[in-house]
Amino acid sequence: MFSRSLTSLGSLAFVFSLFVSGAHAEGKGFLETIHRHRTLASTSPGNGDLNPYAIVVVPRDMGILHKNDVLVTNFNNINNLQGTGTTIVAYSPQTKNISVFANLPPNLSACPGGIGLTTALTVLKSGWVVVGSAPSKDGSTRTRGEGCMLVLDATGKLVTTWKGPDISSPWGDIASRDNGDTASIFVSMSGFDLPGPNVLDPKTHYPPILQKATVVRFDLSIPHDGPPVVDHQTVVAKGFSARADRDNYLFGPTGLALDDDGTLYVTDGYDNEVTAVDDALHRTTPVTRQNDAVGRLITKGKLLNWPLAMMWVPGHHLLVANGRNGQVVEIDPSQKKQIYAQWVDNDQAQQPPGNGDLFGLAMTPDNKGFYYVEDDMNTLNLSTP
Amino acid sequence: MTPPLLQYVSNLQRLVPWLCYSFAFSASIFVFSERAHAVPPRVNIGNAMNAEDESSSGIFGFLSNWRRTSNLLGNMWGLRSELGKYGATLAIQETSEVMGNLTGGVHRGAAYNGLTQAILQVNTQRAFGWYGGTFNVSMEQIHGRSLSADNLQVFQTASGIEADRSTRLWELWFDQKFFDQQQLDIKIGQQSLDQEYMISNNALTFVNTMFGWPMVPSADLPGGGPAYPLSTLGARAKYWAATPLYILGGIYSGSPSRSWSEDPQKSNRSGTSFPLNRGVMAIIEFQYVYPALGEMVSPDGPQPLSHIYRLGAWYDSEPFADQYYDNTHTPLASSDSNGNPKNHRGAFSLYAVIDQMIWRSRSDVNRTLNIFGRAMGVPQAERVPIDFSMNFGLTLKDPLPYRTDDTFGIGMGYTHVSGALARNDKAVHRYQGTYSPAQGGETFVEVTYQYQFTGWMQWQPDFQYIFNPSGGIPNPIHPNRRIRDELILGFRTNIAL
Repeated sequence: MFSRSLTSLGSLAFVFSLFVSGAHAEGKGFLETIHRHRTLASTSPGNGDLNPYAIVVVPRDMGILHKNDVLVTNFNNINNLQGTGTTIVAYSPQTKNISVFANLPPNLSACPGGIGLTTALTVLKSGWVVVGSAPSKDGSTRTRGEGCMLVLDATGKLVTTWKGPDISSPWGDIASRDNGDTASIFVSMSGFDLPGPNVLDPKTHYPPILQKATVVRFDLSIPHDGPPVVDHQTVVAKGFSARADRDNYLFGPTGLALDDDGTLYVTDGYDNEVTAVDDALHRTTPVTRQNDAVGRLITKGKLLNWPLAMMWVPGHHLLVANGRNGQVVEIDPSQKKQIYAQWVDNDQAQQPPGNGDLFGLAMTPDNKGFYYVEDDMNTLNLSTP
Repeated sequence: MTPPLLQYVSNLQRLVPWLCYSFAFSASIFVFSERAHAVPPRVNIGNAMNAEDESSSGIFGFLSNWRRTSNLLGNMWGLRSELGKYGATLAIQETSEVMGNLTGGVHRGAAYNGLTQAILQVNTQRAFGWYGGTFNVSMEQIHGRSLSADNLQVFQTASGIEADRSTRLWELWFDQKFFDQQQLDIKIGQQSLDQEYMISNNALTFVNTMFGWPMVPSADLPGGGPAYPLSTLGARAKYWAATPLYILGGIYSGSPSRSWSEDPQKSNRSGTSFPLNRGVMAIIEFQYVYPALGEMVSPDGPQPLSHIYRLGAWYDSEPFADQYYDNTHTPLASSDSNGNPKNHRGAFSLYAVIDQMIWRSRSDVNRTLNIFGRAMGVPQAERVPIDFSMNFGLTLKDPLPYRTDDTFGIGMGYTHVSGALARNDKAVHRYQGTYSPAQGGETFVEVTYQYQFTGWMQWQPDFQYIFNPSGGIPNPIHPNRRIRDELILGFRTNIAL
């Protein structure tokens, strides 16, 4: 009885402390304005593809897409096999339903290893959709292919692919500077010799950590009568950590966010840090790994827990989705500090709650809320004030 | 990614035979005339959605990637993808186990026991654009035999899947979410209460029945209550009342069987009798959850660890038989008794459940140490055979390097026989002269390791030791001494087909 009383008192104290901490948080940033969370729709299309990753909001009417539609990639097929998803679905805020925007063939000669669509997705102003593929045959990095970048038109039809020695498991968000007839897009690459998930380092008993992952800039010219053409591709940063994983396919750099001054922010998932690559729009040589960071270290550890997708939020802050719990973390990059985090997925079927659920992020068009996915439930979700 | 969870079943009626051995006729036979049940291993519907598309790879195509697939039969030769077009998901899971007692019990020996569950769910939004609806139908096929009934004769049966051999409908319901943030969720139809109430998430790893549907409702509710392998008609609502607080409550038929006297598993053998001629059962549960959706976290200082606290109560309006007196206020054990126990109208119980993470590794956040505890009681102890039960235990997830989906657990359970029943035991000795010690408490400990062999298969070696079986009842083979403590070894496997 006494211990039960203590527990009750502890609970009351905990609630009070949360109230107090909430009061102190007033005016610090964006997340404190977010109060509502809801599931919008299942992201699994008719072919059974699963594991939603990337989220991008369509900027204007184009092809079969409408302004403010939300595109979502699926990384898995009807099985739990990662690196085999071939679909991009479109959520319509008007109809509140999902439709298939693109369903790519599982094997393409121009895309080494097959198709497995990742978090690398963008819609250019010119109406072209660019998406990354990090394919596998058995759902693990053991049968990993190098993959490719695919370009679709606004009807979901594949028009061209890009591959080459700098493209290896294109993985993370696409950050871009889009001028209409030209564009620079950034994609993280997490392959590069990554072995299968059962190849273990004898010292750690975990798969070996390779520090070969990169971020590549593609400088594009976009003719009026054809798809984007890669004028240059440049490795702007290399030496990020990557590691194969039995459950999560791989850990690697994922979130990319480009600042107005050309600084590129990167989430280095395995190292639990956010770093900055200066002059990313123009640099011709890569930033390399020094002092356990590739680029300037912005923040490390604390609330970051396998940071994945990253985007800008009001206040010129960054919002990062954690892979190891159901939190999103707000960061002030200029102050190099974490502000706070919010639980947007509290599913206790996983421990810690929401572990392995979050991935992509995208702001709503009114810049007041954000979309996120729960890849255990295969849903698109929305957080709003 | 998430491995199938384990839940449990029991069958207490098979504890009755010792009474039959002891007494040619005794009112005590009413004491455990009802079955008790627990929770079967939970089927992972998500895994079934993840079926491999090997339909073009021939009849044995599903074997081509057996190490990575989430279901042994993959896409079931195209069936699962066809169902997926209509928003439907089919999950089938086989649980098979061998358990044996090395010491104690009525006999020594081993037994095979098995359960096949099939669940079909339809997401109405995927099927026809109707937001927030889920239709669910599930079936069970129970095979093998029960070690607890044949050898152990314990209250807290060793395996959660033990039940009568049968093929039966289990649940049949429709669930609809309402409001902007799905704050309200209503479920109507044939439901098994062990799927939602009194659950300890961490306890579900274990094999013993009592880590699922607990001892108090198993022993005291009519037919063991609407829990595996039974269910009952009803309606329930779950309401998100405030940020950390959920309220779960429902009203159900008071018994899973139409019959007042027969074993519900036999009188409702196919699970399709849908009884509404009995009393009413009402249950409510308050859940205090951390983290709650939208909860803010500061980067300064340690993060609170996740927990769920549950407080609940149930009331059943069915008649409950007095454990000591007949309806003429004569002790049931007396030769003057007419053998008809005095009936009480209704009974209620209070319960509390705690699940609390107490440690999380800094180097590997998947590695967590969790405690759980659950306690419940029935204040009106004269009308129930068991007036108190509790569980407590620890689980360590990801216990070894790179064994993310494994769990090690150590737990215990205790159950206490009501004072009225213990008095009845003494009265049997007094009136009939037979050896009939007053039953007290029964305690067990369990140590288990759940090993995720592949995405579709788990292996689970298990160790249990049961102290004072059935609170100290005579051994029917040797009626002048109690059943001795039991050491049980077992091995379970869960296979997602």
